[in-house]
Amino acid sequence: MGEPMTDAWCKCSPAAEMLERATAILQNTLVENADWFDVAASVQGDEEAYARLVRRYEKPITGLLWRFTRDPAQCEELVQQVFVEAYFSLKTYRGDAPLLHWLRRIATRTGYRFWREKAREPQETSSAEFDILEQIEATEEERIDPSEAAAVLQALLARLPAPDRLVLTLMYFEDCGTKEIAERMGWSRAKVKTQALRARRKMKEIAEREHLLERLGWTL
Amino acid sequence: MDTLEILARLARKAREEQTPVFGVADAVRLRIRSAGPQSVTLIPLELFGGLSAIAASVIVALAIQLWSYMNNPVMELLTPLQEIRLW
Repeated sequence: MGEPMTDAWCKCSPAAEMLERATAILQNTLVENADWFDVAASVQGDEEAYARLVRRYEKPITGLLWRFTRDPAQCEELVQQVFVEAYFSLKTYRGDAPLLHWLRRIATRTGYRFWREKAREPQETSSAEFDILEQIEATEEERIDPSEAAAVLQALLARLPAPDRLVLTLMYFEDCGTKEIAERMGWSRAKVKTQALRARRKMKEIAEREHLLERLGWTL
Repeated sequence: MDTLEILARLARKAREEQTPVFGVADAVRLRIRSAGPQSVTLIPLELFGGLSAIAASVIVALAIQLWSYMNNPVMELLTPLQEIRLW
């Protein structure tokens, strides 16, 4: 008679790890199959199938677009634009990558277009942006609110030109490498690397001008 | 302390942020419906193409007719002058 499985066995044994990995693969496969079914139905004009896809991927797409604007109304508009554009391009989705990757590519390009259009508009002094940077107070790293950290970072990034801002936004918030950024934007990897290097240098200058280090009071 | 390290730490913290969810499925469905079927845009395109083809045929017909009235300047040079008897 075998011994009953303990919690320790579940967490540590290689068999448990394999089981966990297999479950994850199975779950991914199930989601991908569901995606395929819904994509095929949507192309045939099934609105409910497309609504299911929208509900399934709305959260990660909103999370990505939240990095392009922190205004809820603008962000919602961008999310809608992404899904409308995706609907009319569904026939071009070949399925060689998961649907979420394809949607993320559309979302990144939509967000980038939004920045470029905004840059062409007459500039208004964004007092909210200044307020965020002015209000930075010395807080322990563990105690800083993630929303506050994101707002500060986004306010600093907003001072960069759109291509620099995009590369750093994807690196900082999405943890993307140069390869992924290049794929999402259709740029060469060399271009992304150069852009990232230049953007980091500019960002460092901006942060130093704002005395970010002294204001936060963090130590290594 | 390196400023870039501080920025990286801020980014790590920022990634934990809970982003809002809007529930856009119904709005997307409405926008797709209002965008309408794509084939509608083909009708004005076909009409424009047809009109252009008719205009082009008229111009070609006129050009062929006018071609025969044109004089070749080289041939004019080589043609001997008519001698006119004055008396």
